[in-house]
Amino acid sequence: MTHDLKRLAWKAFDRVGTTICVVLVVSPALFFFLWMLSLSLKYEIDNGAYPPVFIPDRIAWQNYVGVFASNNFLLYFWNSVVVTGAATLLALVVGVPAGYGIARMKAERSAIVIMIARMTPGLSFLIPMFLIFQWLGLLGTLVPQVIIHLVVTVPIVIWIMIGYFETTPIELEEAAMIDGAGRWQTFLRVTLPIAKPGIVVSMILSVIFSWNNFIFGVVLAGRETRTLPVAVYNMLSFEQVSWGPLAAAALVVTLPVLVLTVLAQRQIVAGLTAGAVKGG
Amino acid sequence: MASVTISNVRKAYGQVNVLHGVSIDIADGEFVILVGPSGCGKSTLLRMVAGLEEITAGQVRIGARVVNNLPAKERDIAMVFQNYALYPHMTVRKNMEFGLKLRGAKRPEIDAKVSRASSILGLDPLLERLPRELSGGQRQRVAMGRAIVRDPQVFLFDEPLSNLDAKLRVHMRTEIKALHQRLGSTIVYVTHDQVEAMTMADKIVVMHDGIIEQQGRPLDLYDRPANLFVAQFIGSPSMNIVHGAFATDGTAAVTTPAGLRIPVPAVPPGRAGQAVSLGIRPEHIRLAPGGIPAKVVVIEPTGAETQVTMDVQGAEMVAVLHARLDARPGDIVHIAADPHLLHLFEAEGGGRIDLPIRELAA
Repeated sequence: MTHDLKRLAWKAFDRVGTTICVVLVVSPALFFFLWMLSLSLKYEIDNGAYPPVFIPDRIAWQNYVGVFASNNFLLYFWNSVVVTGAATLLALVVGVPAGYGIARMKAERSAIVIMIARMTPGLSFLIPMFLIFQWLGLLGTLVPQVIIHLVVTVPIVIWIMIGYFETTPIELEEAAMIDGAGRWQTFLRVTLPIAKPGIVVSMILSVIFSWNNFIFGVVLAGRETRTLPVAVYNMLSFEQVSWGPLAAAALVVTLPVLVLTVLAQRQIVAGLTAGAVKGG
Repeated sequence: MASVTISNVRKAYGQVNVLHGVSIDIADGEFVILVGPSGCGKSTLLRMVAGLEEITAGQVRIGARVVNNLPAKERDIAMVFQNYALYPHMTVRKNMEFGLKLRGAKRPEIDAKVSRASSILGLDPLLERLPRELSGGQRQRVAMGRAIVRDPQVFLFDEPLSNLDAKLRVHMRTEIKALHQRLGSTIVYVTHDQVEAMTMADKIVVMHDGIIEQQGRPLDLYDRPANLFVAQFIGSPSMNIVHGAFATDGTAAVTTPAGLRIPVPAVPPGRAGQAVSLGIRPEHIRLAPGGIPAKVVVIEPTGAETQVTMDVQGAEMVAVLHARLDARPGDIVHIAADPHLLHLFEAEGGGRIDLPIRELAA
């Protein structure tokens, strides 16, 4: 009887402890979102109130209406779609075969060079790239941003794909070669279809990182070629600190990535740990 | 179908030599099994025939063609892998069609070949399933089906049964053998399991440390092993080996330092007193009143036979008796063996010592 009680108490303690830990870790991240949501739904007067109001009496939907009505929001949205889409697509075209090559040739040094490119602060690429794009006369277009986003997206794709291809049994490719396939046929008809989950994950992560990128846009984008994060930042400077519309815009910008993450979180976790457990 | 000729083939990875000049002649329609402990180079040799490993030196011919520099896809072979290597994103049918499609076969021909192979292997109800929905034995059969539809010159099997449980392994062994008899195809098969080799092969090639220890028909290897390694590798339980020397008192016997004295048919001329290893197959030991006394250590009855582990004056020996043994561990039994069924090997190097024929006949 006491034994049972002890076990029950321990179980309860265990559960409470876990809950406290989860709340401690998650709540700061969640709090930002909730506060942003609250800001975006309040009039300026409530936003400036002291003590702070979390749930307002009146909802200011106009903040959201304002986001879409002004500031060329749709243009910037489209810019973001083009830059992220093109940077991700190009990264897949380049990165998937590169990851395959590195995994099969065990070219660890190339993999490390790519990792270093990823770890180097983006700013160090910016000045030379800016000069090059100016010289090429591309600064008014989206091309420079697409190209420089590759600095972010290509390493992500390559590294995730290396993990995936390393776990693909080599016998499958050998079987295909004996069945009569050449190297490209083997890659296209056997290896690539098997790596589909990896491709999806690397695509999602590439989209997230590219979509959220801010610093490249700040330097390289003109008035017509801004992406969403830059556009939101510009609201901050022009309209002083009008928190409501700013928070509404920020939420709208974050929303696509947020939805994508929630939908694909299982795959993202699987993709990030791919290769960690051999044969798992 | 075609013959396969492997002539003085070597394989080196950098400075490390894995195969030191291996030659095997495989006749058209022959079922050859390469057997040996892991790391002996048997799988490497098979992969060289398949075109998955480069040939460092020597020559591999399939039929009349030298295939050293041909890529795998042009060698007209089919291979069954240890882990089956079925394409996980294709159904059983697609798996079997894949090779035919790549070779540009027409739809009616593909359908005919797939349905023939699937009926031979009993795969008809599984054709639309994915590999992950199949059991181990079924996957194994699909892997064989994928090889059969191609109608290749040579089938290569790389330890195809080692992932199956014991019962299924015995069943598939029979199936593969029946398949070979039905198709009459040339098969090169790699295994580390000597029972598989003995039961299925027309010819066994025993490999060890990158060389061929002996090749020949299964029962020839069993009855006349060329050296100590083959003697101990082929046969289960393995051959009992006693280290001793030829008797010096003029009698035909081998004596051990512990005082054990085993009669042999003859002492080769001029070798009295020389060291020798003597081999006795477990089933050649029989109970004999007045024989050598042995202390019973373990008794393992299987019903059909009784396996007895004994301590014979310091030497451990295993006997397989067809009679039931009414003894307990610790009891003393008396054993003997027919001298003509003993094997003699050089103490140095382990080569077989053949006694003159007339001595054997005597």
